[in-house]
Amino acid sequence: MANVTLTNVAKRFGAFEVVHGANIDIRDGEFVVFVGPSGCGKSTLLRMIAGLEDISGGEIAIGGKVVNDVEPADRGIAMVFQSYALYPHMSVEQNLSFGLRMTGNPKADTDRRVKRAAEILRISELMERRPKKLSGGQRQRVAIGRAIVREPQVFLFDEPLSNLDAELRVQMRVEISRLHKELGTTMIYVTHDQTEAMTLADRIVVLRAGHVEQIGRPLDLYDNPDNIFVAGFVGSPRMNFIKAHIAGRDAKGVLVELAGEEKTRIVQPLAGPAPETGSTVIVGVRPEHFGGAGEGDADLTVAIDVVEHLGGTSFLYARTAHGEDVVIQRDAARVPQTSEVTVSIRKSYLFDEKGLRLR
Amino acid sequence: MRNRNATAYRFLTPYLLIFAIFWVWPIISSFMISFQATRTVPWRFAPGFNWGRLIGDPAFFNALKNTLLILVIQVPAMIALAMLMAVLLNSPLLKARGLYRFAFFAPVVVGEVAYSAVFRLMFSLDFGIVNKLLNSIGLPKIDWFSNVTPAMALIMIAVTWRWAGYNAIILLAGMQSIPEDVYEAATLDRVSKLKQFFYITLPLLKPVIVFCAVLSIIGTMQLFTEPFLITERGGPGGGTETLGLLLYRQGFRSLNFGYASAVAYTMAGLAIAITLVQLWLTREPK
Amino acid sequence: MSSLASARLKRSIALHLFLTPLALIWLFPLWMMVVFSTMPDNGIFSPGIELLPHGNFIDNFNNLQRDTDFVGAIVISVCVAVTYTFLSVMLTSMAGWALARYQFVGKGVVVAIILGTITLPYAVVLIPQFIMVARDFKLANTWVALIVPPLFNSLGVLFMRQSFSMMPDDLFDAARVEGVKEWRIYVFIALPLARPMLAALCIILFLASWNNYLWPLLINSQPGSMTAPVALGTLIGLTKVSWGGIMAGAVMLTVPMLIVFVLLQRHFIAGIAAGAVK
Repeated sequence: MANVTLTNVAKRFGAFEVVHGANIDIRDGEFVVFVGPSGCGKSTLLRMIAGLEDISGGEIAIGGKVVNDVEPADRGIAMVFQSYALYPHMSVEQNLSFGLRMTGNPKADTDRRVKRAAEILRISELMERRPKKLSGGQRQRVAIGRAIVREPQVFLFDEPLSNLDAELRVQMRVEISRLHKELGTTMIYVTHDQTEAMTLADRIVVLRAGHVEQIGRPLDLYDNPDNIFVAGFVGSPRMNFIKAHIAGRDAKGVLVELAGEEKTRIVQPLAGPAPETGSTVIVGVRPEHFGGAGEGDADLTVAIDVVEHLGGTSFLYARTAHGEDVVIQRDAARVPQTSEVTVSIRKSYLFDEKGLRLR
Repeated sequence: MRNRNATAYRFLTPYLLIFAIFWVWPIISSFMISFQATRTVPWRFAPGFNWGRLIGDPAFFNALKNTLLILVIQVPAMIALAMLMAVLLNSPLLKARGLYRFAFFAPVVVGEVAYSAVFRLMFSLDFGIVNKLLNSIGLPKIDWFSNVTPAMALIMIAVTWRWAGYNAIILLAGMQSIPEDVYEAATLDRVSKLKQFFYITLPLLKPVIVFCAVLSIIGTMQLFTEPFLITERGGPGGGTETLGLLLYRQGFRSLNFGYASAVAYTMAGLAIAITLVQLWLTREPK
Repeated sequence: MSSLASARLKRSIALHLFLTPLALIWLFPLWMMVVFSTMPDNGIFSPGIELLPHGNFIDNFNNLQRDTDFVGAIVISVCVAVTYTFLSVMLTSMAGWALARYQFVGKGVVVAIILGTITLPYAVVLIPQFIMVARDFKLANTWVALIVPPLFNSLGVLFMRQSFSMMPDDLFDAARVEGVKEWRIYVFIALPLARPMLAALCIILFLASWNNYLWPLLINSQPGSMTAPVALGTLIGLTKVSWGGIMAGAVMLTVPMLIVFVLLQRHFIAGIAAGAVK
């Protein structure tokens, strides 16, 4: 059991910096997900925690002990790889026990640990098989089993579900959640899939281009994104961004006018300093935050291009008069038959030109 | 990947040790020896001694001429033949592919001494099976060993027999790594098989062909065993003496190490020139 | 029959009509080697055309053994080739592993050197190598002289580097995270996974040692220390020698390799073709 602390951790390849001074504090027993688009540095960060990559700057501490110069094996971590990394020439049993055998762990203890891991993951009947004879889901279990056998203080997962088909992915997601409850061990999990992040994490770390954009609980990120990137990344379909400008202000906040929509004005309460009247801002509206005409702050008439029916809900792909694309979520029963529809904005977020949240 | 200097060099040490002792030192030493008069005891430094002799030595120019002649005729002919073998062996129409492959690839395992002996016997003047067969179809016998031109031809035939299949294996592997759908697309575009070969296979195979050519050139440049054993020490009268043979004769018969080293460095110079041409030929287009 | 099928048939017949004679010509020297090895000397040097084997192989072999101790030379050749193959596979695969799997200072230089030596003629190092081994180390006419200097082998290293670098990184990282030492990762994971490539390399190295001629000719020229090709080579060109015997020797050098070739063709071809798919 251990907490993991990253202090100003940086990674450079030559002159090229891929991680810029990350500060992340992971509590003991917490399930933390690093999420971001490919190339954001999330896997590099994980591999630095594992000790598979050198740390170019800053400090990583596990259980209060700085591990920058500690070999991977001595960091009390275990890792599950995207490709499973099962040794193809060994049986499942040998795969599970290989590390312990190679490092001189007593045989009785090794057997006990392997047996326990096999029971937790329900793979006891597969022990004699080679990886080639296993299904994708079974391979994934063996890979996780190999981590459990280590009895680590911290589990590291590197996109473990991305090689599985959609159905298995959901199943394994639940399985990993159950495992976390059962073991109560700190887990760090890397993925590019925001759904995985939202469903698994106690807290999410959103990364982009080597920077930590925001750290928070899944619903905090959804409800209260710090910037336009996090706002766009969390939630599916993604938030709509509509250009606007400040039309005026009063004691409560500012009056925002959507570009090309003189009638559509939104009042945004602001705690912090308000931008000057006339300056450009961006209004973010989640698809699920559009309501029927008159139900919210302001009304907006859009032209419908395409309607996607998912059953219970539908998505309207539409364009504003100013030519901006928006996605609107509606109950299936409330999908209009017309080519135009007037919607209201029930809830919106305001960002400045640089993408920072104004609140 | 973490930097692991110590681990890496632990794995590399035995190999690099052998390299340092048996290659690096000899390369340097050979260069120094080439500047020494080695037929006096002790050896003495005389920069012009060997190199001066080299540029005035008819035996050297004879060997150089023979080597280049073999190089210029045999290597292109063999590569073309190997290409033909590879293309035909790759044809989906071919039946009993294994037998044909065995026929062309088998010489690859045959040692130089064994096949030199067979060729010597097959091509002998009166009792050689080749002349007997020529005779039986009404052609005159050829005296393969007493005249320079047939002797050179014999060397080239022998080397081509031994190495064409080797190159065909490499070319075939190269061909098989070209994705099938490229050809399928071309066939749908009504590009003929012949045009497919010239406009798809050849350009895509260029690096492999160049690789084969360079390996063959380097090998042929050091040609030793065939003129040593088949045409009896470069006979007739030095007519098939190659640089490799001259080096052997000077270095290990006359024990003139300095001069032999100069010959060796001439070969190295040629090799470097050829490598540079290869690099130029296979450079990435801008 | 459709016109497409008949066109294919015509092409197929033309292909076989061309390739069959060429294949027969290519097999002819090997066939004649076998035929000669079974003919008495007076049969070899007779005016008739003989294309079928006779029954004189044993006599020819006895003649060969009378001319030179060929059996002894074969024993040396086998022992040397086996030892050489074992050591060379170890050295080249270790070096290939380091180059494929580690980032280290001087890696670029090592790779450049190895690539450079492929195109460097062996002739350049031949004389100093000989002087060093024979005069300085006094190792002429020993097995060490036959085995050690040829251990530097650049194509083998490049082949193994290629093989190891095609394996997924995660496999080795997984073991590293488990605390497995690097040399154990190499022995217990990398080598078992590289088995087909190692087999190919073994065959190529064994063959190279078995057929090696120039270096053994120079360094082990004493009777009793010669390898089989060298022993056989000394007979070629002598006047009073049994040519049937020489051919019997050639067959003994060649036929085992041909059998290995047929049995392990896939590995053979993989080893040779390695140069093509860089």
